[in-house]
Amino acid sequence: MSKRKHIKVLISVIGLDGHFTGAQIVSRFLMDAGMEVVYLGIYQTPEMIVNAAIQESVDLIGISSHASNYEQIGVLLDLMKKNDLHDIPVICGGTIPKQHAEALIKRGVSKIFPPQSTSESIINYIVSVVKR
Amino acid sequence: MKRQTDYGYDIKPVYTPKDIADLNYERDVGDPGSYPFVRGYYPNGYRDRIWTRRMTAGLGSSKRTNEVLKQYRKMGQTQGMLVIHDRPSAMPIDADHPVARREAGVLGWHGSSLVEFEELMDGIPLTGQSITLLGSSAMSCMRLAYIVALAEKRGVALTEVHGSVTEYPFCHTFGQTDHLPLDLLIKLWLDSSEYIIRNKIHMRCGILSQHFQESGGNNAQALAIEIAQLKELLGLLVNERGLDFNDVCLLPYELVSIGSRFFEEIAKVRALRRMYAKMARETFHAKTEKACQLLISVHTSGRTMTYQQPYNNIARCAIQTLAGALAGCTAIDNACLDNAYAEPSAFAARMSLNTQHIVSDETGVTDVTDPLAGSYFVEFLTNKVEEEAYKILQQIENQGGMIAAVKKGYIHNMMEESARKKQKEIESGERLIVGVNELVIPPEEDDDIPIQSVEASDSEEIAIRMENWRKTRDMPLLNEKIRQLFDDTKKDGNYNLMPSIIEAVKAYGTAGEIMGVIRMAQGFPYDPLEMIYCPFDL
Amino acid sequence: MINSIVKKIVNGDPRDVARLIRDIDDRVPGTRDILKALHKHTGKAYIIGITGAPGVGKSTVVDQMIRGLRTNGKTVGVLAVDPTSPFSGGAILGDRIRMQRHSLDEGVFIRSLATRGQFGGLTQSTRSIIDVLDAMGKDYIIVETVGVGQDEVDIARSAHTTIIVAVPGMGDHIQAIKAGIFEIGDIFVINKADRPDAQKMLDDLQAMIDIAYKKFKKESWKPPILLAEAVNNKGIVELLNEIEKHRKSRRSLSRQAIIGHKKALARFELIDMIKSRLVEETLKRITNSHEFREYLDCIIDGTMDPYSACDDLISAKLNFFGDGNSG
Repeated sequence: MSKRKHIKVLISVIGLDGHFTGAQIVSRFLMDAGMEVVYLGIYQTPEMIVNAAIQESVDLIGISSHASNYEQIGVLLDLMKKNDLHDIPVICGGTIPKQHAEALIKRGVSKIFPPQSTSESIINYIVSVVKR
Repeated sequence: MKRQTDYGYDIKPVYTPKDIADLNYERDVGDPGSYPFVRGYYPNGYRDRIWTRRMTAGLGSSKRTNEVLKQYRKMGQTQGMLVIHDRPSAMPIDADHPVARREAGVLGWHGSSLVEFEELMDGIPLTGQSITLLGSSAMSCMRLAYIVALAEKRGVALTEVHGSVTEYPFCHTFGQTDHLPLDLLIKLWLDSSEYIIRNKIHMRCGILSQHFQESGGNNAQALAIEIAQLKELLGLLVNERGLDFNDVCLLPYELVSIGSRFFEEIAKVRALRRMYAKMARETFHAKTEKACQLLISVHTSGRTMTYQQPYNNIARCAIQTLAGALAGCTAIDNACLDNAYAEPSAFAARMSLNTQHIVSDETGVTDVTDPLAGSYFVEFLTNKVEEEAYKILQQIENQGGMIAAVKKGYIHNMMEESARKKQKEIESGERLIVGVNELVIPPEEDDDIPIQSVEASDSEEIAIRMENWRKTRDMPLLNEKIRQLFDDTKKDGNYNLMPSIIEAVKAYGTAGEIMGVIRMAQGFPYDPLEMIYCPFDL
Repeated sequence: MINSIVKKIVNGDPRDVARLIRDIDDRVPGTRDILKALHKHTGKAYIIGITGAPGVGKSTVVDQMIRGLRTNGKTVGVLAVDPTSPFSGGAILGDRIRMQRHSLDEGVFIRSLATRGQFGGLTQSTRSIIDVLDAMGKDYIIVETVGVGQDEVDIARSAHTTIIVAVPGMGDHIQAIKAGIFEIGDIFVINKADRPDAQKMLDDLQAMIDIAYKKFKKESWKPPILLAEAVNNKGIVELLNEIEKHRKSRRSLSRQAIIGHKKALARFELIDMIKSRLVEETLKRITNSHEFREYLDCIIDGTMDPYSACDDLISAKLNFFGDGNSG
């Protein structure tokens, strides 16, 4: 990863979750931090997100989650393993209860950002995990 | 800290008679039960009729939601039930759709067919309580069809059933799931509303105005939009469908969001009654006093319920419930302590029902009608929010009315701008929210609350059931009914689709199938997500 | 190594294609050698450029074009170019949203690209990426760019058919088209044609085309104007038909004219390639030199003005072309 000058991330909302505001705000501040953001918007199935990540060859996937549909994120993680996308970390943000957050981390999400996480903390995390 | 209403009026430290010098009690306020109904519709207020104290239900399968409803009845919720659809059936796609498989029942009841409605209502009466089924607008015609079909099966007279099954067609403008174009949503809404009015069914249309405010709109805007959409929708029923306003007026049922700005929220509801009464008389030439009354239900604001320190939400919910009670309303359903996390857990549901009963039974606010009338500040605020709302209403009219304003993006921009402003005020500390930007604690010290959730296996179970059940239906009959619906949809836009939808529902057509066929007849893909194809030969 | 990558690309493996595109975009050393080896596998795809101001609905038009082409059994590659923020160097690549329904279709490969504000480098890397999509066997390659700036115009120019999209009711649009990109349009699409001013816009545009056509009579193709509502898939079949017509008209040109066209395009592209390579190499030489750093300090100290620094650096470093150290 270190040979890359630019960080390219994919930001999406998953499944039938219609809350796009968070994803848009995050996309915006990642752009302002110099990243290239492939923004997919809402109603994306795990399959659509994985294919987009492959075609766009992104460094990281961010999922904004506000609708309790954590199984969709689980399926996304399974699909990524199936497609050998081990080198692409998945991060999540949103109103995810602790219990579910812990389960998602166990399933392979690399980091979860609760509401009111600062933009700095998200940017710093992405930079550190992508440049590693 | 900002001392300003959420629509930007600077609040003075003290209000005196001078602030309402122009107020004429008879003309502008009136006694409870008389025009312009600022003080409510009943001369003796809640002594005549206490508000319906209810909780939203809906999670997982029909059987599971049925158990929850029965549990709520045991908790004392016997005046009325309120069930909310899950996202797939609100769209609608059926449980065995590839996307729905992981979401069926996640945030509500998965009701996609008559068989599921039958299970939902198993052991629960259709009469003697109000039946409120919530979801997106396109599903109104489906919900109405379920009720008509089940009433027929049970041998219950339709005129005995009351409640609300229709939702207004602007849901998707304010961030609700819906995949039909606005024009078709409005057509289907007009169809179900017209069917209700012509058949004298005691069903209401819930105008879910809460969504505008919940998406960040301010009180004056919310008020203007409530009036603008009522004016346009009721106008369409009168002018396009040829109905009499004195019948149409029995349809709307306004769901209003009540946030934490206590007096402002109360003023908004009082002003709403006055503005509606004036519109009914001046625009629609209402003949009776009854026709000038708008049924108002209160939803405590989900937007104000924080993810951080969730127990604080119990206090917020109580304050908002009190505001709703003082403002005067016909029903309250609560967004409660776990609103930022999931659908209400049993604990949260009990807390919020208890909160309503504490307000209604312990505080004494139900003893007297509209106790805030005559308060210099409250009467002033009522006038002020009305004045601001009329200005915004004029702007919406200048756009060509609510539908035109939505299509032009005017309403959306207004909402976004207001939401941005509110967000900025929180970030800058001008508005304080405990747990968010005041008295903050580290996340690891935060309280754990019980979380209601649906297991992935539950969604899959609903899907498998749907898949297998589909095959057991009388296919020739269903094909015939679907064909009829398809042909009817191609007819003139004012041709009412309700009869053919009811027939298709009785033949156990699913929401995905019925709406899919309507979509196709209108030139849209069968599946809103374009992943599956129409199984019927049309 | 190179051969195995080339083989995978030609076989159309989306992951290798995607990775190579990323390497081209990031200018990873060694990528040129792969492109050299890949070149003989290119030249089969039909390239369509589509351009227009932000908000005219280009992505929606592209989405519907993909749908139409797929219905006809054709495979499609899409390259959607979005501007990089000049302030942060970041970008939001949002064109894909409108086309995501095709993301599960193996016959479609969609790629977003940020302009990154390089010195003419965008046209260069875009052409290389088009070559990659061509080599992977896509029948059609659609390149979507925002119709502002020379780079975007150049990209559109190198397509076989260039479509310009506009919408009525935005006042200055005729003006905007006139200013830079009008001349390169083979087909004009007035999108969102349900808007009230559509007919007026069509008339204005037609008048402009008539004048231009009179001036350059030798051109055998007169650009058509189509009315479309891409959101409702209206006007897209007609658009695809016009593209085919244009494709045939190109084929029906005299042999001499075809060679002339090809030569002009090849010349244009080669010059562009040399230009960007030169700028890149020269800049690297100059900015890596100790003189550059010294002059920079002098400018900051105020002992030298930037104009003199520029002149001195160029005259001191320009003779490096002859020196044997270049690698």
